[in-house]
Amino acid sequence: MQFEKNHDGPIEHSLEIALETIEGLLHDRYTLSRRAVGLLLLQEDHEIQEMVKESQPTILDHIEKIISGVKATYAYPIEYEIALLRRDEVERIINRVVKVKEKEQGIAEKVSALMMNPIAGFPLLFLILYFGLYKFVGVFGAGTVVRYIEETLYDNHLNPLLVKMVAFIIPWRILQDLMVGEYGILTLGLRYAVALILPIVTFFFLVFSVIEDTGYLPRLAMLIDRTFKKIGLSGRAVIPMVLGFGCATMATLVTRTLPTKRERLIATMLLALAVPCSAQLGVILALLGGHPKAMVLWAGIIMMVFLFIGFLTARLLPGERPSFYIEIPPLRVPHLGNIFTKTYVRVKWYFLEILPLFLLASVLIWLGKLTRLFDFLIFLFTKPVAMIGLPKEAAKVFLFGFFRRDYGAAGLYDLNKDGLLTGDQLLVACVALTLFLPCIAQFLMNLKERGWKTGVGISLFTLLISFGIAFMVNLVLNKLGISL
Amino acid sequence: MDVTLKQAWLEQRNNPLSSAVPENTEGTHSRSKKIVIIGNPNVGKSVLFNNLTNNYVTVSNYPGTSVEVTSGFADINGERFEVIDTPGMYSLTPITEEERVGRKILIQGRSDIVLHVVDAKNLERMLAFTLQLIEAGLPVILVLNIMDEAQKAGIKIDFTLLEKLLGIPVVGTISTTKKGMDILKERIVGYAIRKKS
Repeated sequence: MQFEKNHDGPIEHSLEIALETIEGLLHDRYTLSRRAVGLLLLQEDHEIQEMVKESQPTILDHIEKIISGVKATYAYPIEYEIALLRRDEVERIINRVVKVKEKEQGIAEKVSALMMNPIAGFPLLFLILYFGLYKFVGVFGAGTVVRYIEETLYDNHLNPLLVKMVAFIIPWRILQDLMVGEYGILTLGLRYAVALILPIVTFFFLVFSVIEDTGYLPRLAMLIDRTFKKIGLSGRAVIPMVLGFGCATMATLVTRTLPTKRERLIATMLLALAVPCSAQLGVILALLGGHPKAMVLWAGIIMMVFLFIGFLTARLLPGERPSFYIEIPPLRVPHLGNIFTKTYVRVKWYFLEILPLFLLASVLIWLGKLTRLFDFLIFLFTKPVAMIGLPKEAAKVFLFGFFRRDYGAAGLYDLNKDGLLTGDQLLVACVALTLFLPCIAQFLMNLKERGWKTGVGISLFTLLISFGIAFMVNLVLNKLGISL
Repeated sequence: MDVTLKQAWLEQRNNPLSSAVPENTEGTHSRSKKIVIIGNPNVGKSVLFNNLTNNYVTVSNYPGTSVEVTSGFADINGERFEVIDTPGMYSLTPITEEERVGRKILIQGRSDIVLHVVDAKNLERMLAFTLQLIEAGLPVILVLNIMDEAQKAGIKIDFTLLEKLLGIPVVGTISTTKKGMDILKERIVGYAIRKKS
């Protein structure tokens, strides 16, 4: 049988030059062609380097110089560039050789297509958010369930019991305060962690696991790829963003999956600014549940900030539009076992992470109280808090938010429970707290992933934006005489 | 290069199981030609291997690893071929230990024919690897397996054009029903002769 031509490999110009130079250096006694060996060397394949080193020990230094020269001219790793070119080549061949006859679509394919089609996809997304997040996590989880656990079980039964027990065991007033005082380890730290955050996070991760297990996320990525491109991200960023609703710290780590530095920076920034974490989201949804208008305004404002800041950073940061390819796995009915395992693992991770921190917070506040540092810090916050029209008790919430987002959200819950906030103030507080500084954990993660300059920069920027926006919201509400 | 590897190959050749196989009377004393089967996991490599080899099979652990490599002999048109089934492999740039072993076999094994077995439904996902193999100058035959499912999914593949574009033989098979095996064997013999000349 006769064949027309041999395949030379799809390689772009300057890669081609480097490759040909390397090929020229190699002898032809390798089993693989010189071209293939050269390509693998370009991708810095360790085993191949060893192989060449053994056979031609003198040329490796030269080759390494060529490679570092090529690397400097490409934005992405050489491996990625080569993979892209190869994929193009495959596409060209496939387009000519393979024909797919349109088949009768099954129900799964139809639903899948609807999910990715903008006209049906966005309303569907809205429905998922409305029922999954708002109704289930917010109203039912953070509202009904938390109210039962927190008020009925904790406040009425457990707390009085704990107070009595501690008073009985520990005679000293100061230590009693540490355990069961206003900010006590048992009365505040443990209560926040177990009665507030744990149920909310459990409900959230339950919904998240169901959504994940159906295969909806890659489709969501396709759906909002176009919107995301406008803010300098691609559909790929959907995964870290959606995860950010679980815990922004974890999501910041996941931004590693984004291919360019620019995308990673934009994503980190948006995660710090405009993506509330699950505990925050749950508490906010529960609090605003009684004020539908405030709820819609809050969602609108956060969304606008998200898009606007993203759009702005995308303009300011130089770089190319990201490309996006994703494999769409088949849609399927979620598997109960999977959901249970995923939810369990995530909730466990989250809870074990916050519990010691929440308890530690009580100790820190206790120490702060003794040294008066706590009151001083609160005092620092009173001015800005007053400026955005909130009562001075809210200063505490922001200090808590500094420590951890979820801790701040829990503080806000308490504040509202005490009936200290009007509808307007609730909206302003929710906006400010959503946009507020990343918590310490996320801040550290930002430093680790993005470097200290960027990390600190992001924090200052978010602080400014959060109070700025909250200030404006308060101003507009007052001027227009709206009371929610 | 790898001494232990060479030993393993020698051992495999002197394996009591394989020497128990009756000698090919026409065969010279030169080594039998070697066919290496590679491809992603779950594309029917093993079934294809069994179809080719009439069950003269040895399974050996690859030296230094827990990765199993299966080998056996195939008699095609009176000629004896040694057939090696490698663990799953996605590309020439290995990530897993299994892939590393697969590549070692390719690099050090001096194969006479490389059968790249792919799932015809997912040709697009697997063709990049075929290109890599061709580029590496290996004697590749592309085997589009699971053709029945591809047909069911309404996928039509122009074999003649694909052969022309790639410059290598392309064969469609359904390894579970042995469909296309005769054509594959023909191509193997043809390719082996062509390579010789």
